[in-house]
Amino acid sequence: MRGTAVAVLALAALSCFPGGAWAKAGDDRPPVRQWIDVELQGSNGYTIHLSVNPRRHLVLQVEKEGFLAEYMTRDLLPETDRVKAKLRGLGVISLRFHPRGSVRHPSLPRCEKWRPTVQPGVVRGTIKFVGERNYTRVKAREAEAAVEEPKKWTCRYGSPFEFNPREREWTSKFSARGEGFFFLARRYRPGLLKSGPVIFFVEQGEAFEAASGQAPLTIYRQLKLPAPAAAFDDSHPEHLTVSPPAPFSGTGALARTPESVFTWKGDLSIQFPGLDPIPLTEPSYGFDYCLREVGCFEQQVD
Amino acid sequence: MGRGRLSLLAVGLVVATVLLAAAGRGEAELRRGGKLEVQRADTAGLVRLGKQGGYRIFLYMPNRRVVLFYGVRIQRVGDDGFGLTYGIYATRNRGNLDHGVVRARFGSLGRVSLRFRPDGRIRKDDPQEGCGGGVETAEYGSFAGHLSFRGEGNYFHVSSPSGKAYLTRSPRLRCEKGQAAEPQPRSLRKYVALTPLFHDDDSIALLYASTRKHGRYVGITAMHPEESPPGADVELKILDSRKGMAIGHGTYLEGFAGTLLTSPPGVHPATATVAPPAPFYGKATYSEEAGDWTGTLGVKLAGLRLPLTGSDYRVHLCVVNPLRDKDGCEFFKTEPPYFERPARLGLG
Repeated sequence: MRGTAVAVLALAALSCFPGGAWAKAGDDRPPVRQWIDVELQGSNGYTIHLSVNPRRHLVLQVEKEGFLAEYMTRDLLPETDRVKAKLRGLGVISLRFHPRGSVRHPSLPRCEKWRPTVQPGVVRGTIKFVGERNYTRVKAREAEAAVEEPKKWTCRYGSPFEFNPREREWTSKFSARGEGFFFLARRYRPGLLKSGPVIFFVEQGEAFEAASGQAPLTIYRQLKLPAPAAAFDDSHPEHLTVSPPAPFSGTGALARTPESVFTWKGDLSIQFPGLDPIPLTEPSYGFDYCLREVGCFEQQVD
Repeated sequence: MGRGRLSLLAVGLVVATVLLAAAGRGEAELRRGGKLEVQRADTAGLVRLGKQGGYRIFLYMPNRRVVLFYGVRIQRVGDDGFGLTYGIYATRNRGNLDHGVVRARFGSLGRVSLRFRPDGRIRKDDPQEGCGGGVETAEYGSFAGHLSFRGEGNYFHVSSPSGKAYLTRSPRLRCEKGQAAEPQPRSLRKYVALTPLFHDDDSIALLYASTRKHGRYVGITAMHPEESPPGADVELKILDSRKGMAIGHGTYLEGFAGTLLTSPPGVHPATATVAPPAPFYGKATYSEEAGDWTGTLGVKLAGLRLPLTGSDYRVHLCVVNPLRDKDGCEFFKTEPPYFERPARLGLG
């Protein structure tokens, strides 16, 4: 009996996400494959890209110089040409898409035959977003937009999948992770990457549970930053020091103790726009260090 | 590792290892170009003699020729670690185990003169895969007769053979090559030198100090496995021989932070300190420069208080980088297997 109840609850939960809004609207149409993409310009030089995917997930991306923040919630409307969502204290989106111009099939790098179908147009309604502590803001009644039907998820015109394959060719790397946080430092052969021989990457995420009748909000923030070789010093086999440039501050050090335990210590922190600095060297963080030609080791923490 | 690495399961395996130490059921011999081998018929027996002072006590006959007294104690170390302490006494069986008779003297420590009394319960098992020739029969029951044994310092004392017992009879088996049980050792000391519980091949810091003096082997190993939290696994083995008898004492434990501290890899002269928790006491220091193994380190084991430092100790220290020395500390690999090293003493 209890098993049946659990199964019913599980099914109910599955039916609530992401298609709960459809259920509410009594709509049993199959999921569409269309995306809506809206381009916006935020204050302080941030670009803002709003997209709603075929599963009605709304993502508002804020981007500037290696920094990217994603605010994700659920579009409450089932229609493909309308969007309605609240970003829990950060903004409101309520708009309708109006086609303008003819349908295009743009070509994309590495996507040859997978050309998407793009209907350009505008969205009209309310777009209001204010980043934490007002680090950027946008308010618009109308914006350029497109409805896109991609043939392949990596071949999206509205949000092209960008990746430099050379970034896989690191020679050594270090990563540390804690709850809701990931830090990665990679070192490359000199000259391999135009940006520099070191790349730092940090990602932080937080999820806000949904109050009844509201959609949850998940926020990811990430920063990818090139740096000079001196910022990643692992010349000593038992010791690594990283000192990334701003908006990082401080230094993190991996060192071997007389116990033969590796520790990750220091005052390294990252300051994302609109947030207090986040320490990246807490004692509870697990970490690993790898040499490409040799392998990796990781340190367990109690 | 460290905490909790030596799980109850592992401890259970150790106890099983203890009871099945020194291999299989019979002695195998190669035959005709090595395609077949024969596993000799044999008889083994066990009596569970209860628990005293935290020690589980067994009388074990791994084959017709050898009689062993075992005392094994498992204890917690700190909040979530485990340790194991044992004493093993091996001597020859003067009785005929095929007829259920065990007759043996353990010097001044005790003697047994027993006869097996089956209770009618029998279990039959097929031989292991790759072997044929008959079934192994286990008879359950008890032993009657005289049994007295007193561990050194009286850490346990048994005076009655009462307890559950069984006798197993394994027939002569013909096996495919490699399928017969390993031959059982003839040397008594191999029955009291247990195989290591902790593997040394993933250690990135390892110290092994040993001495052989006046017929006694003492070896202590402290090792820190790669990726484990602060602390070190420690093994101590003490082997003695007395007239017609071999005695093994030892302990395995998971030591907390501070158990093994070393200089970094590649630093010479290297240094190390070893300070494991009870039953150890004190601290030992190793200096590569002076070749010294000094300090107050000692151990209190079943009726035995033994200093573990001195100029007669030979010390090996291995500290490696986990990425540059992928195989960990290897110096044991260049020597005979761990449990065979004491055998070179010619103790038994």
